[in-house]
Amino acid sequence: MTSAEIILTGLLISALRSATPLLLALLGECLTQRVGRINLGIEGQMLVGAVAGYATVAASGNPWMGLVGGALAGAALSSVYAWLTVVAQANQFASGLAVWMLGFGLSAYFGSQFVGVRIEGFEPGAAGLTPTVVMALVLVPLTALWLYGTREGLKWRAVGESEANARAMGIVPWRIVVSGIVVGGLFSGLGGAALSIDTTRTWAEGMTAGRGLVAVGLVIVARWNPWLCLPAALLFGVAEALSFRLQAADSAVSAHLLHMLPYLASLLVFVITCVRLRHHPQGGGAPAGLRAVFER
Amino acid sequence: MTPNRRLSLIALAAALALPALAAQAAPLTIGYIYVGPKKDFGYNTSMDRGRLFVEKNVKGVKTLHVENIPETAEVEKVMERMIRAGATIIFATSYGYLDYAISLGKKYPKVTFLHAGGLQLGDNVGTYWANSDDAMYLAGMAAGAVSKSGKLGFIGAFPIPQVVRSINAFTLGAQSVNPKATTTVVWTGGWLLPPKEAEAANSLLDAGIDVIGGQVDSPMTYAQTAEKRRAHVVGKDVDVSHLAPKAVLTGASWDWGPTMLKLVNEVKAGTWKPSHVRGDMKDGTVVLDKFGPAVPEAVRKTILAKKEEILADKFKVWSGPITGQDGKSILAAGAAMPMEQLESMQFFVKGVIGTVK
Repeated sequence: MTSAEIILTGLLISALRSATPLLLALLGECLTQRVGRINLGIEGQMLVGAVAGYATVAASGNPWMGLVGGALAGAALSSVYAWLTVVAQANQFASGLAVWMLGFGLSAYFGSQFVGVRIEGFEPGAAGLTPTVVMALVLVPLTALWLYGTREGLKWRAVGESEANARAMGIVPWRIVVSGIVVGGLFSGLGGAALSIDTTRTWAEGMTAGRGLVAVGLVIVARWNPWLCLPAALLFGVAEALSFRLQAADSAVSAHLLHMLPYLASLLVFVITCVRLRHHPQGGGAPAGLRAVFER
Repeated sequence: MTPNRRLSLIALAAALALPALAAQAAPLTIGYIYVGPKKDFGYNTSMDRGRLFVEKNVKGVKTLHVENIPETAEVEKVMERMIRAGATIIFATSYGYLDYAISLGKKYPKVTFLHAGGLQLGDNVGTYWANSDDAMYLAGMAAGAVSKSGKLGFIGAFPIPQVVRSINAFTLGAQSVNPKATTTVVWTGGWLLPPKEAEAANSLLDAGIDVIGGQVDSPMTYAQTAEKRRAHVVGKDVDVSHLAPKAVLTGASWDWGPTMLKLVNEVKAGTWKPSHVRGDMKDGTVVLDKFGPAVPEAVRKTILAKKEEILADKFKVWSGPITGQDGKSILAAGAAMPMEQLESMQFFVKGVIGTVK
């Protein structure tokens, strides 16, 4: 095999596989931010999703049940964030950090008994694709359709723009905000479960290693648009796949630098997006209500 | 005073008195510090199994343990907390704790610090480690024999000597049965990063590699990735064949219990002196795991024959001639590599593809 072959063979599949858990979390965070909340707790939600999913498969022997279990666990933890920010009116960032730490601790505590436990995973199908990859890809148009093509989606966007205006239209904003947060939790829990059950078939403490936080940043790159979540997540996936393929092809670049690649690539696009957004009259797709969080 | 408050006062008094009683009853307290979770099914699990072995075999001993302590000044605080809690022996089980153990050793001369690996000693600081290269060499033989392409891969966390040695021993073993075998090395940049380990394994398999070795916190993720893709692996630190029964060929695992027990008994008896204690396959600190179904009978026989040679000192992995990656001679024929050079190894042997940086 030549270097080019080592780098390119299966690159797209690898990138998709790497990007899948992130894409699911990203779609969830996109919906949450659309209703005007920034949830840093997504990292913790992915972790509880990963451990709950893994535990469910260990108990039931069915990976599909695991995905359901993971999604529900993510939703349950996100309801803590919903309670903190909607009912208790606490600061969004502090609440998100609290939920993150809570998720880390809970998943480490309950997860220790599942380390090294064998589970039944999905068998890779055609071209090495697994059901979670397909599921994430299908959820992109579905989420976009929901947000832009349904009456309920319109309400969500209205609440994200301005809760006061939405209330004047007869919408009850808190219900929508809570729904947006919990659906975000559902997606991130599913992402975590996809990571543990399918991508790695492993549960390990803190295994998401910052993917949730990357999702929070990538929402801005995706301009709060579910369609753009796919290329944003793929950007990370391609960079991660490349970081190992370049090593396998014996490139002269240091492995330490290559490992920064996914984050550097994301950061670069992030900076470009932010600079361009500054001069954008409508904020480049940012919900107006969300901007208030930063500008308050 | 209400009955309730009286009760809680009694409880408080009992709680205060208990540690004092415990200190009298247990003359020996040992502290263990782990860099990761003790249930990682890898390196830290192997160290924790050593702790449980000591607990079982030393009468009246009490062990303390703390997980997830980074190799920073934080470990000093943890050690001091353990010393305040009565610990007189501390096992610092991760490679990067050494400088902190040396400096605290001066501050607490009555405490014995035992550190995993490294080449520094203090008046009360010793190191313990084991040479797993023999077992890695034998595992490499299995990899070289089973591989159809002759292309092997290796997933390493960081290019530190302990990992570099494994890669070289693995490669030399493979080349002993297939002289054309090569090992492609990729680094993950962290001890416990399952998503990256899965991706690393996938990248290697996509490049036509069919047997993967590794040295990260636990082999469980890359072993299961290989199992999914019907490829093979060689494990390290802990046997994970129950997770990937078809993929695992064999592996090099730790059994720290006996070494730790010996050190503890020496300290107890007052005969301990600071030194670099090094175990190996001969004393049982390093174990060649059982063979998986993919290793043919003839190959097993060859490997076990080589194992006997090693145990009988008739064969040494680190004896010359050893040629470097660039084709230049590193060790002349017949020469043996000294321990200091082994434990600071920063070169790859011929046939390894990758960089030590």
